[in-house]
Amino acid sequence: MRVAALLIFTVLLLAMQAAAQASPLIVELMPASANPAHPRMGDRLMFRSTIRNPGADQAPGVIAWLSLVQVDPGNEKPVDLEDWSAQKALTLPALAPGQTVTTEWPIRLIQAGHYRVAVIATAAGIAEVGAPVASRFAGFAVAAKPVVESGRVLPIAIGVPLLLAAGLLWRVRGGRVR
Amino acid sequence: MTSHADQVSVRSAVLPLRPAAGAWLIARKETGELLLSRRGLAWLLVVAVVLSAFALLLVSDTELGLLDNAQVVYDMVGIVIGVGALIGVVAGVDAVGGERERGSLVPLLLVPLPRGALLAGKLGGIAAAWAMTLVVALPYLWAVGSTGQNLGHAVAALIVLGTPVVLGFGAFALGLGARLRSVPAALNAALVVLLLSASPLVIGPGLRRTTIGAAFDAVNPFSAALNAVDAVVIDGERLAAHALAFCAVAVWALAAGWFAWAGMRRLAR
Amino acid sequence: MTIRANTRPGGDPLLELRSVAAAIGGAEILRDVSLRLGRGEILGLLGPNGAGKTTTLSVALGLTAPSRGSARVFGGDPFVDGAAVRARLGALPEGGGFYGWMTAPAYLGFFARLHGLARAPDELAERLVQVGLKPSAGQRIETFSHGMRQRLGLARALLADPLLILLDEPTNGLDPRGRREVHDLLKRLARDGAGILLCTHLLDDVERLCDRISIMVAGVTVRDAALRDLGGGPPADAPRGGRFRLFLSAAGEGRPLPSGVSLVAQEREACVVEIAGSEMPEAAWVEMMFLGWRVREIHRIEDGSSPLERLYLSLTDADPARSAA
Repeated sequence: MRVAALLIFTVLLLAMQAAAQASPLIVELMPASANPAHPRMGDRLMFRSTIRNPGADQAPGVIAWLSLVQVDPGNEKPVDLEDWSAQKALTLPALAPGQTVTTEWPIRLIQAGHYRVAVIATAAGIAEVGAPVASRFAGFAVAAKPVVESGRVLPIAIGVPLLLAAGLLWRVRGGRVR
Repeated sequence: MTSHADQVSVRSAVLPLRPAAGAWLIARKETGELLLSRRGLAWLLVVAVVLSAFALLLVSDTELGLLDNAQVVYDMVGIVIGVGALIGVVAGVDAVGGERERGSLVPLLLVPLPRGALLAGKLGGIAAAWAMTLVVALPYLWAVGSTGQNLGHAVAALIVLGTPVVLGFGAFALGLGARLRSVPAALNAALVVLLLSASPLVIGPGLRRTTIGAAFDAVNPFSAALNAVDAVVIDGERLAAHALAFCAVAVWALAAGWFAWAGMRRLAR
Repeated sequence: MTIRANTRPGGDPLLELRSVAAAIGGAEILRDVSLRLGRGEILGLLGPNGAGKTTTLSVALGLTAPSRGSARVFGGDPFVDGAAVRARLGALPEGGGFYGWMTAPAYLGFFARLHGLARAPDELAERLVQVGLKPSAGQRIETFSHGMRQRLGLARALLADPLLILLDEPTNGLDPRGRREVHDLLKRLARDGAGILLCTHLLDDVERLCDRISIMVAGVTVRDAALRDLGGGPPADAPRGGRFRLFLSAAGEGRPLPSGVSLVAQEREACVVEIAGSEMPEAAWVEMMFLGWRVREIHRIEDGSSPLERLYLSLTDADPARSAA
């Protein structure tokens, strides 16, 4: 009798613990079909994420955020999204069982290089710590664009001072004025 | 002229030239002096050399990102406004103080024009100097910024916000030149004020977030102008959203104009 | 073309200062200055250095406000009605500068337009010829000699055919022929009715040109008289030794002069010097040679003393400030 009670108590405790844990979410990330095949600096890419609650319980306090990392060899580092994307995070009061939320994540390509982007979500709310769930990485490469073209700068940087110097020389040598 | 005209009271006499026309003539003279004198051409050459040095440094950096390009345009706009303000200071001191030292001021004070017209003409000359600085700077801005972002807005911000800053410093320096007997003293005083105004930009954003720094930023025309340029060029905001910055630089320009006017009125010989 | 001041002789004074006092930079320069100038008159304003002659002109031009007394130009206050007053007068301040990058016709044209005058280029050229200035085409003012600039300043002062003309050392730097031309021009203007205030150190100019003189010492008018009323003969306290003028064939521009010797005029290889307080005027040329002058010949020696000069010296020698200088 006492053993049975102990077993029931343990099962109940485990059930309560399981109930207290965040329901696992499923996060997927896909690039938009309209994204350029070979993006360059200054282009904009669009990614779409789906966050689904496959569980039978409601997932409260969903937070999802964009994570970008540069993966060029020797230059691997997370990227501050300050200038890359105005949309950096998403919050939902709750995700009902079976509910799916689709979100678009626009990104402006600021720097050349190779990048991986993912969406990470957690459903525990901010009061508790739950295991975050990440989408698969979507990778893209950004080609460099010459932002300062020497073909434009050099003629100006050399020509304008030369023109003014010529004018000054003309005046020094007694150029006539009306 | 008949003898009857001799009896005409001075007070009721009509001035031979409208003040606005007189101001225009003086502004034209000042502009001609800038464009055709060796000193004026030398100053424009200095502007071009500074901008060329900056542009050539950029060309050597092949790893600029897109945002860096925006920063480059912002920095160049800041340099143009700074150099423009410096030229405004030099031209302003010279407009009255320099002419007085060269002895050419008294003949100008003896023409039948109100002092306000003389002041307007002198400020017109400073505006012409700023316009010439812009003409020299625009090719550089195009060269470094045409492949980046917000170049058009950057140029608009430079003109809308930079002009009151530069004219304000020019008017302030003109007022100092009218009050102080010594051109070096007037120039030194004006340059000190200019450097103080530009100093927060060198100090950096951290110290500017302190109470004193924020208060200084609130009254500093440079800060108002460049903060707005930052928002337009780098953050892509609309220029119209920064009307407050324009008001700040406009207040500065008006206050400096009043200072110049008060100095001109007191001008003797 | 005749430069004509369109007015009639007589009438109200063009310029009147009554017991004027004025300060500059906190220092009282004028203490009690009174003078009156009517149409057709040339008034010589004399005084030692620092007497306040330039400040008096400044008050008359409306550039300095008097602290006491009254200043009236054409019946109006030159400080209050400045622009209207300046429309009817012309002035040549001492040591005025010019816009060196301009040519003389462009410079005159600029000031003509500021006076609301439409002067054609040939008329401007004629104005320059009137004052003896014939620059090369396109020659910039920065290449002008001092005498040429003085002539240009005079042309600028006369641009608007003014009723009242205020001149500060107008013949400064001019050669003897230039001085004669300016004298003739000023006499002609006065005959046409203009009132001329002539501020100068050159007593010779005053004696040749002026109807009346006003002598200032330390900011105070000490004497105002018609030149013809000065009479002859030296006063009892006239300085000993007399004054002499030497007319020399000599060259040495830029060379110093002996003490007591002043250069009156110089043109190429000829010059006129004045010697004060010397019993032996001939000794002056010997001293000049020691100082580097190439003196070939003395043409003549004149007694430089005149009633005006004796009066001037007697009044200004009584000035303690001058004695201390």
